[in-house]
Amino acid sequence: MTKDAIIQLKDVDVTFHNKGQTVPAVKHVSLDVNRGDIYGVVGYSGAGKSTLVRVINRLQRPTSGQVIVNGQDILAMKAKDLRQARTKIGMIFQHFNLMNARTIADNVDYPLKGGKLTHAQRKEKVAKLLALVGLSEKANDYPAQLSGGQKQRVAIARALANDPEILISDEATSALDPKTTTAILELLKQLNKDLGLTVVLITHEMEAVKEICNKVAVMEDGEIIERGDLVTIFSEPKQKLTQDFINTATQIDQALDKIYKQANALGLDDHHRLVQLKYVGASTDAPLITELFKRYQVVSNILYGNVEILQDTPLGNLVVVMAGEPDQLDQAWQYCRDAGIQVTQLKPNDSEVA
Amino acid sequence: MKLFAQYFPNAVTMKSDFLQATGETIYMTLFTAIIAGIIGMAIGIGLTVTQSGGILENKVVYNILDKLVNLFRSIPFVILLAVIAPVTRLIVGTAIGTTAAIVPLIIGSAPFYARQIQNALAEVDRGVIEAAEAVGSGPIAIIFRVYLKEGLADIIRSSVLTLISLIDLTAMAGAIGGGGLGNLAINVGYSRFEGDVTILAMLIILVIVFAIQLCGDLLARHVDHNA
Repeated sequence: MTKDAIIQLKDVDVTFHNKGQTVPAVKHVSLDVNRGDIYGVVGYSGAGKSTLVRVINRLQRPTSGQVIVNGQDILAMKAKDLRQARTKIGMIFQHFNLMNARTIADNVDYPLKGGKLTHAQRKEKVAKLLALVGLSEKANDYPAQLSGGQKQRVAIARALANDPEILISDEATSALDPKTTTAILELLKQLNKDLGLTVVLITHEMEAVKEICNKVAVMEDGEIIERGDLVTIFSEPKQKLTQDFINTATQIDQALDKIYKQANALGLDDHHRLVQLKYVGASTDAPLITELFKRYQVVSNILYGNVEILQDTPLGNLVVVMAGEPDQLDQAWQYCRDAGIQVTQLKPNDSEVA
Repeated sequence: MKLFAQYFPNAVTMKSDFLQATGETIYMTLFTAIIAGIIGMAIGIGLTVTQSGGILENKVVYNILDKLVNLFRSIPFVILLAVIAPVTRLIVGTAIGTTAAIVPLIIGSAPFYARQIQNALAEVDRGVIEAAEAVGSGPIAIIFRVYLKEGLADIIRSSVLTLISLIDLTAMAGAIGGGGLGNLAINVGYSRFEGDVTILAMLIILVIVFAIQLCGDLLARHVDHNA
């Protein structure tokens, strides 16, 4: 438990009762989110992610457990204090949840209604927030006139109206096209940097996590099955589900599918081996392929290559056919391993991906 | 005017009766609309917020309101008029006349309006309510700034529907002594075989109904920003 944890969930359980059936949605989850984190919670739909984050601002009351936000016990709060605390926890949603009967400016102004600011101060604040999300010229439009990405920007401006320290993003990019998704994620990242905003980002897309998160938790069946900082999770995923998510994100699954389909054309034997190379950080900079040829006369034919830059750390993934004498190949592999590169021989009949 | 006199031989001599009857119908409708509107709106909001998953979920309150609305909605209006006559006498002092008719009209139309309001508010996206809760809005703020604001177009449409059915009820109340155009159409036109009086009374009611419908549609379209 770090001192700097802005959100602490301790042993949180959420059980739904539905027509005599009890459905555990979240099981014994503990989670610490530090100030300034962009914490990704990944999982398929039904894994309990949304339920879990709704516990943070008590939109969902947990069956048991403890929720501490900013040092305050959220579950012990009276309604009035809870409302006050909620103004410091912004939230954005998959379907934006804007008020159709209000203009864009009025939507952003909504959280400020009934607050301490004067009319003029509110107007100024709304103008500032709209400028921040780049929608100043849309102030007097209605939500129905906006695109999905613009609606989400309005929702972000609304969520920031009361200067929250935390922003919860509940599948906020899931209804958006890839380009808009990237733009929204960029905006979140910028807000994190400029305002020191702590972001909790729920998603079923590892791509989104990869873009901006510094920490990840993977959820399955109401439990967090794996967690850690982004680079570690991406370079050494332990759970099958985590690996699946990452392989989908790096598209290596698709690449291997194609490679396996034409495996016969590769002419694999003991002298020609299909190998996956994975490396983290500095090892990407060394001219590896050339080195292997010079030292061991091993020829590498690159079938697929991908380098992700995660949190300024390069993470490489290569699928190559290495050709050479068997003992030379073994030596080449040892050389790679000594350089901190993970080497896995792939068998086309085996659909598992390392 | 000559042509009018030719087709409405009896009605043409009853100008002041028609004016008075129209006034009475409008008086009954407006007076009832205001009071039944407030009561119906309150019950409709009550039903919405106390229902399962509502912002002030409360099974007991919901069930009481729900059963009450169903009960009064089930009683045919003509029978209701007779049944609550003692109550009317207690409140107004008499069970006959235009003002007396307002009591059963309120009881007859408020539950209907409550249901209409409940249906209108059910159209407000649950996600929007959640978003309002997430920024720290309390129940009162959510009712007035979200439900009533977001549901306004549907509320206007429901109100038009209720107003029109209310005019229908005033005619019925009129027929058994409440005054208004219904009274004129039945007790004068129908009973004395002055068919033209009945027809003219009907036409005036139709004009009122169309006017309400037109205004309501325009207003609803004006506040609706959904598409």
